[in-house]
Amino acid sequence: MSDFFSTYGFLLVSMMLAAMLALSLYLPLMSGQLSLASPGFYALGGYIAAVLSTKVFTATGDLYPVPLLLLEMLIAGVASGALAIVVGVPALRLRGIYLALATIAFVEVLQVLALNLDVTGGAVGIFGVPQPFRTQIEYAWIAAPMLILAMFFVYRLERIRVGRAFIAIKEDELAADAMGVNPTVNKVLSFTMGAVLAGMVGAIGAHFLNTWNARQGTFDASIAYLAFVLIGGSRTFLGPVLGGMALTALPEILRALSGNGSLPLWLTEFMKDGRFILYGLLLVLGCVFLPQGFVTPAFFSRWSKKAHAAKLKRAA
Amino acid sequence: MNFATFIQQLLNGLSIGSVYAIFALGYTLVFSILGIINFSHAAVFTLGAYFTFTLMGGTFGFNGVLANASVPVQLPFAVALIFGSVLAGLMAVLIERLAFRPLRVRGADPLLTLVSSLGVAILITNLIQYLVGAEIYTFPASTYGDLPPAIDFGKLLGLGQIVPVRTVQIVIFVVSVVILIILTLIINRTRFGKALRAVAEDTTTASLLGINTDLFILLTFFLSGFLGGVAGTLVGSSVSIAGPYFGISFGLKGLAVIVLGGLGDIPGAVVGGLVIGLAEAFVPPEYSGYKDAVAFGILFVVLLIRPRGLLGRTIIQKV
Amino acid sequence: MIEPNIGADTRIDAAERLDAPLLEVRSITRRFGGLVAVNDVSFEVQAMEIFGLIGPNGAGKTTLFNVVTGLIPASSGHLVYCGEDITRRSPHRIAAKGIARTFQNIRLFGNLSALQNVMIAQHVHTRAGVFAGVLGIPFARREERATRDKAMELLDLVGLSGRADQGARNFAYGDQRRVEIARALALQPTLLLLDEPAAGMNHSEREELGALIKEVCERFSLTVILIEHHVPLVMGLCNRIAVLNFGKLIALGAPEDVRNDPAVIEAYLGAE
Repeated sequence: MSDFFSTYGFLLVSMMLAAMLALSLYLPLMSGQLSLASPGFYALGGYIAAVLSTKVFTATGDLYPVPLLLLEMLIAGVASGALAIVVGVPALRLRGIYLALATIAFVEVLQVLALNLDVTGGAVGIFGVPQPFRTQIEYAWIAAPMLILAMFFVYRLERIRVGRAFIAIKEDELAADAMGVNPTVNKVLSFTMGAVLAGMVGAIGAHFLNTWNARQGTFDASIAYLAFVLIGGSRTFLGPVLGGMALTALPEILRALSGNGSLPLWLTEFMKDGRFILYGLLLVLGCVFLPQGFVTPAFFSRWSKKAHAAKLKRAA
Repeated sequence: MNFATFIQQLLNGLSIGSVYAIFALGYTLVFSILGIINFSHAAVFTLGAYFTFTLMGGTFGFNGVLANASVPVQLPFAVALIFGSVLAGLMAVLIERLAFRPLRVRGADPLLTLVSSLGVAILITNLIQYLVGAEIYTFPASTYGDLPPAIDFGKLLGLGQIVPVRTVQIVIFVVSVVILIILTLIINRTRFGKALRAVAEDTTTASLLGINTDLFILLTFFLSGFLGGVAGTLVGSSVSIAGPYFGISFGLKGLAVIVLGGLGDIPGAVVGGLVIGLAEAFVPPEYSGYKDAVAFGILFVVLLIRPRGLLGRTIIQKV
Repeated sequence: MIEPNIGADTRIDAAERLDAPLLEVRSITRRFGGLVAVNDVSFEVQAMEIFGLIGPNGAGKTTLFNVVTGLIPASSGHLVYCGEDITRRSPHRIAAKGIARTFQNIRLFGNLSALQNVMIAQHVHTRAGVFAGVLGIPFARREERATRDKAMELLDLVGLSGRADQGARNFAYGDQRRVEIARALALQPTLLLLDEPAAGMNHSEREELGALIKEVCERFSLTVILIEHHVPLVMGLCNRIAVLNFGKLIALGAPEDVRNDPAVIEAYLGAE
């Protein structure tokens, strides 16, 4: 058993982190905002944790104290939230493609800053981020509860007043406005929620990966998160979670299958580098064939006769 | 700064700006016809460079599946450029058929098309990396034949100092201007161009008037891919192909160019390209690490202040 | 920018001010480039009246509604509601003040149920924030239940409570209109703007609609401005009618006077 965890510990925790990053995209999406900004907040959170743990909280002792990690997560969350409000209030007046472009620009600017500032270690980044745990699977002590909390939060959000406001804005922003829902406040709120989540995950990530640099907050990452949400399903909170986990695990599963050594060179090479080929391909296929992703609300009630009849009616 | 440095930076800016302009032309052509941002243009740009490199007999490095492979042809640069760009254009058409047409037919949200194009870009870029590795490929020194490697503008303008400008940069600028002129003539003076503008204005009406809109869309994609291939080859040959991802960074900056110029506006693409090229060139040397942020900073500011860009028209939303 | 949640207490109770007009439209003009959609229109709507707004297609009626509800800004002129200038207010602030509307092209939240549609319109009158809601503290849960009950009541009023959980886009056209009315009522408005509510209805449906409008007016002490093309419905329902043509106000008065006004007759006949 412990063998399994030591081999797959890294993967399992990565899956949890990926699920949360997918949720960080899902939150602004709830109010109709396609934001590609999550990698920027993820990077910010990671840098905060990396800098604090290597330069400020110089802890003695073998392992880095977990409470300090939690504190870093809190600070990362607050900082991401603050930045999200500052950037979001002007940017979220934009709609559709324009907003997506603005978030792309935001991530790129942050990346250039990360590459040039001294505090972030420039292109080299920050090394030797202290570890609060001895093995990688132990990070699950933080990642798993956080994922569960995030899932619970989004689950509840969809069923309460504020969540309804988000969904109304997503459906028809003008009509929502006319019904008393303040679009700007709510859009910024959902955007900020996603940013806070991404920032906190970044803080964990910096310790988990032991180093942090500008390659952590890239445009590619936003493509990956998009794939998680699109393939997993964008209509319910479980979609991004399952998408994030599945798409993180998939390349590893394929790699494990091919690791037996008897496969031709091109296939093993593919398994090594093919992660993004896969994500790109899935993104295109997902858009063309199933824009609502796999995990739609209908997916759950598939077994119920009533839902089946309703599905037929909807297609008519 | 003294005049010589100013001229140097001005010429650099114009040169890189004109590449941005050619790249953006392809982008904006597609936007003007279909109202979508085709991010796969970045991948087509990259493909153009790699295609031309291959056609000139270049060998691939030792990474990637096609390690050490090469095609048994060795075409001169100009010919390879044309062929490589044609191939790029064909790729663009293929992409349109597979990744955009199904969405267009169902009237999908332009955002979904953008996402699909992002997928294509990442897919192709990583496929290239898988096939030929991520090393830097330099075009052979014989590319520009007998032209001198640099021209001294200092001597040309009678300045006291030496102001070297690489011939390549001049070639790029000249090619860009020529392409722009040809494109403008085609769009404004020919029947093809008129039909193109009609399709861009209103696809439904154009088809009712007997214009084969599907064909025009294909032609536009081909043209945009061709332009992308030319731009990619020019950049690749002037600096080097810095790995498959060099197209993506152009693609991202290209977004800034077309938004600045106005989405869908053809002269705007050129203006935007030159402005951003010049802005980058005039970044003081102490801040050269921030050069890349210039385009994105401009993009962000333009989106906030004047989303329609310098030359674009306002979009009226019907309530 | 960041605005506090406006609760029911700021809603102005029009019944207290029966002497002053509820809504004053003062020289409202709206241009779109070269086109003048609404041209210097002025009129007053008294509390508790049913005020009709008619005119040929393209006369500017919906544009006027959009200006009144803040969806598009006026190019010039003023709007005064219960003595307060609301000319440059944003739509959600105007909604909070008690002006609700339905849309010409029905704008329900299609992927939500009828019940959820009506619940959303109670946003301004409820207060539970994110953490209160997510944690499910008693106050939030009570408020949620009250919102749901109120929404069911309104759906019951329009006769659709049996299908409360059905997706809004699955309703027949006429029923969608009724959901939209229920949703507008959930805003607890003092002024209700109805944009062609009877479009696409047959005779008996129109009769039901007319009865419904009268009933909600009385029950909720509403003032109604009604855009409608069906002349008998307008004549039968409205206390006064304003007629727009090419953006200009060409007649205003009691139904019989408007019906016989030569300018009005010419506008309609000439438009054919």
